[in-house]
Amino acid sequence: MSDFDSELDASGLNCPLPILRAKKAIAGLEDGQTLRIIATDPGSVKDFEAFCKQTGNTLLSSGEEGGKFVFMIKKS
Amino acid sequence: MNTRLSGPERRQSILKEAQRLFADKGFHGVSIDEIARAVNVSPAILYRHFKSKQDLYDAVLQELSSQRESYVEAVVNSDANFEEVLIGMTEVFIRSIDENPNLLRIEMQSLLDGNPATSEFFENRWKSFADYINYSMNERLAYDIADREIKILSASLMFQGMVREALLQKYLQPQDRLIDVSLSELSRELVTLFLRAIGIHETQLTQKDSIDSEQTKTIPSAS
Repeated sequence: MSDFDSELDASGLNCPLPILRAKKAIAGLEDGQTLRIIATDPGSVKDFEAFCKQTGNTLLSSGEEGGKFVFMIKKS
Repeated sequence: MNTRLSGPERRQSILKEAQRLFADKGFHGVSIDEIARAVNVSPAILYRHFKSKQDLYDAVLQELSSQRESYVEAVVNSDANFEEVLIGMTEVFIRSIDENPNLLRIEMQSLLDGNPATSEFFENRWKSFADYINYSMNERLAYDIADREIKILSASLMFQGMVREALLQKYLQPQDRLIDVSLSELSRELVTLFLRAIGIHETQLTQKDSIDSEQTKTIPSAS
């Protein structure tokens, strides 16, 4: 059993693609479901904070794993 | 003489003046003495922060070429279709040059100098457009179309070229040739022309976007 409902790999892509794809992926989720995002754009850390602030979704975690940025967002 | 500045503040004030001078006159047109005078310090103090003129020039390039723009609002504040997002991105990008035309001047100089920072200007700044156009066209073009790769690449180059030329005309000419055009008008018009040129029309965009199935991997929630 995984601890997220959907996963998006946006490695190698610069802003706005990770944000745009996350927005579309979240649109397909139910409230309370979670999306895990993997990105390599160093700007994505700030971008996902701003994205969640502006869209009202919850940024559960934001961190680095093996040189990539990993975010967990809960649709709310 | 300013003696109250802390080390990092002093370093920042040197970078600021050096950016202005290098942007106006290029690497060879500026001496360390001139920069020191502009910051109101002795060359000895300047050398305490940067070991050579090249070192200082590289620091100026590094600072500018790593500046990234955020396109979050272009995505969040629109229905996220190709056209609206591209217009939003273009506006943000042009505004960044409007706020600091040195970004463009220094980028052009690093290009001519063959400075490695040129690739950073691409990675941190232009690649957003390249990625976005590549990805979006890749999603939309039929898979069996002839010369698919080169069509996508050319479209991406075309758009970057249009934006770059508009910026050169507006910010590097002694007189702004586009003085009567607002940044958002300019962005909108460039994107409209671009979409027409690559054969993507608004109706197609709306249809395509409304049936877009996101290619994310959905994990079954059952264990």
